[in-house]
Amino acid sequence: MIVSFENRLSRFLGTTAIFIAIILVLFPFLWIFLESIKPPSLGGRPDIWRFEPSWENWHEIVFNSNVPLNILNSFFIALITVVISLICGAPAAYAFSRFRGFQGARYSILAAEMMPPAILILPLFLLLYKLELIDSRVGVITAHLTFVVPVVAWFLIGFFDEVPKDLEDQAMIDGYTRFQAFYKVILPAVRPGLAAAGIFGFVLSWNDLFYSLLLTGAESRTLPVAIAGFWTFRGIELGKMAVAILIAVIPVLILSYSIQKHLIRGIGGSGVKY
Amino acid sequence: MHIKYKLILPLVFLLSGIMLYPFIFSLWLSLQDYRLTRINDVQFVGFENFGFIATDQSFLNAMGNTISFVASAVIIELIFGLSLALLIQKLLIFRGFVRSILLAPMFITPIAVGLMFRFLLNSEIGIIPFYLLRFGVSLDWFGPELALFSIVLIDVWQWTPFMLLMFLAGLEALPKTPFEAARVDGAGRWLTFSSITLPMLRPVIVVALIIRALDAFKVFEYVFAITRGGPGNSTETIMYYIYQTGFRFFRMGEAAAASILLIIFILVFVILIVYLSRPKVIK
Repeated sequence: MIVSFENRLSRFLGTTAIFIAIILVLFPFLWIFLESIKPPSLGGRPDIWRFEPSWENWHEIVFNSNVPLNILNSFFIALITVVISLICGAPAAYAFSRFRGFQGARYSILAAEMMPPAILILPLFLLLYKLELIDSRVGVITAHLTFVVPVVAWFLIGFFDEVPKDLEDQAMIDGYTRFQAFYKVILPAVRPGLAAAGIFGFVLSWNDLFYSLLLTGAESRTLPVAIAGFWTFRGIELGKMAVAILIAVIPVLILSYSIQKHLIRGIGGSGVKY
Repeated sequence: MHIKYKLILPLVFLLSGIMLYPFIFSLWLSLQDYRLTRINDVQFVGFENFGFIATDQSFLNAMGNTISFVASAVIIELIFGLSLALLIQKLLIFRGFVRSILLAPMFITPIAVGLMFRFLLNSEIGIIPFYLLRFGVSLDWFGPELALFSIVLIDVWQWTPFMLLMFLAGLEALPKTPFEAARVDGAGRWLTFSSITLPMLRPVIVVALIIRALDAFKVFEYVFAITRGGPGNSTETIMYYIYQTGFRFFRMGEAAAASILLIIFILVFVILIVYLSRPKVIK
């Protein structure tokens, strides 16, 4: 009986702890949503919970600000970054997974992934400056590739490792060349992996502030930089910032949930075997 | 040429262009007196920049801040992440639902997280200080004493989910037999945890620690969004220091030297962790 009581108590405490964690996670989201629909005159008043919802902030952001342009920039930059990453990353990840002699190469991908942005931003800035590519989408894409390519390649190694070798052996017996086997048989087999890696890379690029902050200007400004720009204004601008934050956050949350299951295998990248 | 080299060619080409070349450029840069304000008057100064950086009080301060930030954030996240993973694993219902909610913070852009908490914790208009005051608690979250700690808390909010994700997967992959054997032998909760779960999770813990610590070294957005290094320079982190030196004071040479010292430091750190956490041979 004592054991059962102890069991029940620990279960109760555990559920309570999880409940508290859920509230701590959800509270900022709830708050930012409420701020976004507060009438601007009440913005930033912590004591007001009951108010007539107003869509004025949303209206202002959608029709009277640069945020739509920022969204477009962020989307375009992330998309191109991911496409280039997949085109360069997939064949290489396949080679790393299938052929001998690439142990060192695997680790250099990992090293590239760990390279702090502080060391690359200085030369990248100077090079793009000399090429007159500051405040251009091409410049930001170049910078984003430095962290998206290694992650995508690393991600894909794990997925290729799980495809049985018989698959391409069979294809080659049927008369495909190695490249055809890769292109026509293996790639379709890892489609979920390609999608997961692509979405993960997209989110990384979409969320970046550091490179975008230093490499963009009015024309190519991305959403995170625009959000950071609201910080100089006070009180009344809080509502607009809330709207911009929600616009940046909601699509990413939806995308990320679709790849939740694949994330672990991707991050582990076949380096971690449990 | 063997097909395997053809397959990696695009990647090698791309990474040489966007990473290797800039990296070498950075090494060269660290040996020059390179200022954005005098871009046509660049002089070779040897290791002078390194000497300047290594004795610069604010570099050492930024390094110190970063190390205490990384250590406290990562340890708190490890403890919370592991506890939550163990609790969620025991849940009978709603497990997937709870996991989905608790993972949310790690996906959103850090600048948004920083700004949200900047307003939530603001001593004049923030909700949290407002209600804490009703209980008679008055804290200046971004004052000189608490600012770095507040930034640690924000990091914990956003990145504990990463630890949770790693540990949930790690726990799921553990074999069942040792746990059944332990139950048959009458081992208690704590004994089971400390002598079976923890040792078997070791590889996952090490990987999670390294990934999270390396990521935490790059902390920039929270500082940029909230304190800009202040009050004084109590929250100036190494990334913020390099950003300031390079792009506020236009001293690219010194900034490059600082970034190279950072990479050496990180390298030593990783080697140390891997060395310390290698499985010990039981005799």
